[in-house]
Amino acid sequence: MSNDAATTATSRTAGSVSGVGAGSSGSTRPEPPAMGLGISLPPADARAKTEGTFPYASDLWAEGLLWAAILRSPHAHARIISIDTSGALEMPGVRAVITHQDIPGDTSYGRRIADRPVFASEIIRHHGEAIAAIAADHPDTARLATAAIVVEYEVLEPVTDPERAFEAQPLHPDGNLIRHIPLRYGDPDVTGDIIVEGLYRIGRQDPAPIGAEAGLAVPRPDGGVELYVASTDPHTDRDLAASCFGLEPDRVKLVVTGVPGATGDREDPGFQLPLGLLALKTGCPVKLTATREESFLGHAHRHPTLLRYRHHADQEGRLVKVEAQLLLDAGAYGDSSAESLAAAVAFACGPYVVPHAFIEGWAVRTNNPPSGHVRGEGAMQVCAAYEAQMDKLSIKLGIDPAEIRLRNVLATGDILPTGQTVTCPAPVAELLQAVRDFPLPPLPKDTPEDEWLLPGGPEGAGEPGAVRRGVGYALGMVHMLGAEGADEVSTATVKVHDGVATVICAAVDTGSGFATLARQIVQETLGVEEVHVASVDTDQPPAGPAAHGRHTWVSGGAVERAAKMVRTQLLQPLAHKFGMSTELLQITDGKITSYDGVLSTTVTEAMDGKELWATAQCRPHPTEPLDEFGQGDAFVGMAFCAVRAVVDVDIEIGSVRVVEMAVAQDVGRVLNPAQLASRIEAGVTLGVGTALTENLRTARGVLRHPDLTGYALPTSLDAPDIRIVKLVEERDVVAPFGAKAASAAPVVTSPAAVAAAVRAATGRPINRLPIRPQAAVAAVPNS
Amino acid sequence: MTTHAPQTPRSVTLPTSLDEAVAALAAMPAAVPVAGGTDLMAAVNKGQLRPAGLVGLGRISEIRGWRYLDGHALLGAGLTHARMGRPDFAALIPGLAAAARAAGPPQIRNAGTLGGNIASIAPTGDTLPVLAALEADLIIAGPEGSRREIPVAHLLAGRDMLGPAELIGYVRVPLLHAPQIFLKATGRTGPGRATASVAVVLDPARRGVRCAVGAIAPMPLRPLEAERWIASLIDWDGRRGLTTEALTAFGDYVAAACIPDPEPGLPGDEQPVHPPAVLHLRRTVAALARRALGRALS
Repeated sequence: MSNDAATTATSRTAGSVSGVGAGSSGSTRPEPPAMGLGISLPPADARAKTEGTFPYASDLWAEGLLWAAILRSPHAHARIISIDTSGALEMPGVRAVITHQDIPGDTSYGRRIADRPVFASEIIRHHGEAIAAIAADHPDTARLATAAIVVEYEVLEPVTDPERAFEAQPLHPDGNLIRHIPLRYGDPDVTGDIIVEGLYRIGRQDPAPIGAEAGLAVPRPDGGVELYVASTDPHTDRDLAASCFGLEPDRVKLVVTGVPGATGDREDPGFQLPLGLLALKTGCPVKLTATREESFLGHAHRHPTLLRYRHHADQEGRLVKVEAQLLLDAGAYGDSSAESLAAAVAFACGPYVVPHAFIEGWAVRTNNPPSGHVRGEGAMQVCAAYEAQMDKLSIKLGIDPAEIRLRNVLATGDILPTGQTVTCPAPVAELLQAVRDFPLPPLPKDTPEDEWLLPGGPEGAGEPGAVRRGVGYALGMVHMLGAEGADEVSTATVKVHDGVATVICAAVDTGSGFATLARQIVQETLGVEEVHVASVDTDQPPAGPAAHGRHTWVSGGAVERAAKMVRTQLLQPLAHKFGMSTELLQITDGKITSYDGVLSTTVTEAMDGKELWATAQCRPHPTEPLDEFGQGDAFVGMAFCAVRAVVDVDIEIGSVRVVEMAVAQDVGRVLNPAQLASRIEAGVTLGVGTALTENLRTARGVLRHPDLTGYALPTSLDAPDIRIVKLVEERDVVAPFGAKAASAAPVVTSPAAVAAAVRAATGRPINRLPIRPQAAVAAVPNS
Repeated sequence: MTTHAPQTPRSVTLPTSLDEAVAALAAMPAAVPVAGGTDLMAAVNKGQLRPAGLVGLGRISEIRGWRYLDGHALLGAGLTHARMGRPDFAALIPGLAAAARAAGPPQIRNAGTLGGNIASIAPTGDTLPVLAALEADLIIAGPEGSRREIPVAHLLAGRDMLGPAELIGYVRVPLLHAPQIFLKATGRTGPGRATASVAVVLDPARRGVRCAVGAIAPMPLRPLEAERWIASLIDWDGRRGLTTEALTAFGDYVAAACIPDPEPGLPGDEQPVHPPAVLHLRRTVAALARRALGRALS
């Protein structure tokens, strides 16, 4: 292929964004206003981020700062016999060395289970576990000094196979079983005429944030400390830090700096705690910037999962019973694995009606890298497996894969295997029909040769004769907000002064667009165009973690309530004066008018120089934990997605190129079309990575190639054309604005769709993600 | 200052000629030469390398271009991959141009040099199988203006090493005026390191086919018997095409030569087989070699 052709292909793939969904649904509505909900308001920080002036945590600076470095274990499982820090302390420029002996407060931490030592004292449980930290006057001095700490290990046999964790010696005083859910729903003796079975494996995906972890700790004169970090859950991280430092929570302040992308729990407290301890010990500001390798070692990964499935169906392809065993490798520490397991078990049958379900799920401890919250956790792994099972049923019964799914789809009012009734909109059939009916992309032979982009890339080895096209479908579902009784609450404050509104809410915008949404909500409610969103710190009331789409719902709801309270404060005197209720007044473009046009004034006039403040909370209806048989109303809401993947596979070499992903999604209501499209595109691209390349490899628990050369993220050439075919706007009545979270559903569904398409192209079973080239090869008929 | 800044090297020299560069290296044996820095600086950033001094080769204009020399092209070691990928270069040495275009994203190709690719001796270096198939020679500059010439294969195999204060100055490549193909298999559609690569070069004057397989061993492998066998089948004076069966046999021959069957076990034992990943690699090499020769002859 010529160089020019390569360039054309690059720009075509990288630049193509379909406007089908947002564009066409917008055209049926009246002319959208210039502000408020439903418009594509650009993010306020877009310019700064594009120009490189946006301050990320790694850009922070303080006068006289010291640099920190962390000594990490080279072994996955070992006993520490001795730690000698004297060599490091003697090095010129080293200001402090801390180990487990220097922790004034709790020596263990964990966002959900406090089972993880800040510094290992006796046992090393995973590769890269922190042992000591150093503060020095130069980053290289700090790093070199870590090498001068002498640690004597007794290397132990690592437990890296989760199936062996059950019989293995306990790796932790809490035992190796983190959680077991035996879900029982229906009659165990029922069987179907048709039975298909499968064993599936999902690899270890890393969130791989483009900006590695970084932070700055500044000691306060009162003995407290301020942490400047890119946290996504500032109040929880603050509380963990305070208990580790042995301080009252109000003496520790966490200031959220620019977050360089997050697809899970962005910051590992394992970075923040040593940083704060060093600042308290030295009395100097201390900065830490993780290397790429440390970043891979430190933060939580997606759970590698082993899934065994047996689907029973009748002759028409209707599901009768699903039996499954799910084994999640939690790594060395508990973190959020119990929650991930609940999602995996609850959604193990997918968005299908299943009369009888018996799902056995375990999350176990191993000496592998720690697993935790990564977008769509639990739900993603099971989606890949149950959709593979649906494909098997489709082949066995000779029913079209879209048709067999349509015969089983869930709808509002149906019951999940957890016994929970689906009360929210569940337009699953509509989503699937939309992606099925969308025209297929042209075959390479129908397009000009210089536009071809074959598997293997523009300079790759792709040969048209060996390329087969495959089309695959997947349906996925994901829960929104925290599950199983988690107290989901957020508090927001809205202030208006001089025609300018300010939102104060501790909801961290991880790039998911909450800050933009908050501006739109206030514009919509108060008719004020200029809205600022204050930066986040822990002096503000908590808003909870940025996960499971909760900020759109909970924090967005809190902002709306606060804005409405301000609106009432603003309009009450006017309404009173004219003897009408505030509902009869409306605010548009900074003008207040009454329904009959008698009253017309501006917001600025009505304010009369006053400052109006209001604070409100939003707390969705409570949920309950799953009981001993996996039953209970555990989820506040659910979102659904259908994806049709089109792939080209070079069946000799096994290279796969995803040509197009057609997405239809249940979004409740479109609040910002451009932002919504970008969230879906990001989710699909992440899913393509899960399906094809992203697997953090280990050998006996030790990470191999912890860098972005060895861990292949999708590039613009790997990203397919993403067609947003349909956005179903069926409002969820319990959600503020009726909107559902949009980021996680495509992450959950896309990998299964890619696998289904490769299955269709090659005729191979594809039971492992990411798909290895040797799994995608097939015999080429002699041409 | 950033955390990624290495300890500032005590000396940075920026010579403007090859002999000055050699002199700078001789004067400070601990200094490391740096051209594009795409491998070196990655190692520095990872903390694996802390050079005491650097000799920057970027200002030596004599090694940044190429010229003709008795039926050969004399390529400066400072040629970037981006430069080698351009059409004028591709008309001259198409195989090297294809390898240069396949080597990483544009940012890397703009900085990374031919000499650097050779000096790094990474198994996945994309230009290496092409240079091996072309049987290129390296012209090495040494102290006091001395020059010596060694086959590139000798350096890659470790038979001959760069001595102290020696630099790769030029690469001498024969101009064959015939098709050359470089193909590589990677793990993704975007730029990536080769899992296997194959270079096939036709030499009609000597009626030879030369093939090298990269990325599967520490250095490019030459399946010499397969080359001789397939060259004997080609009708060099007429249509050069071969049958599909012959191309397939060539691919299998190359793959079996580069990834031989495991040593047979004791008599009576089952014949050991390669693990699936190795078998797949062998299939990949066979497919690449078959495709490359097919394209070269078409």
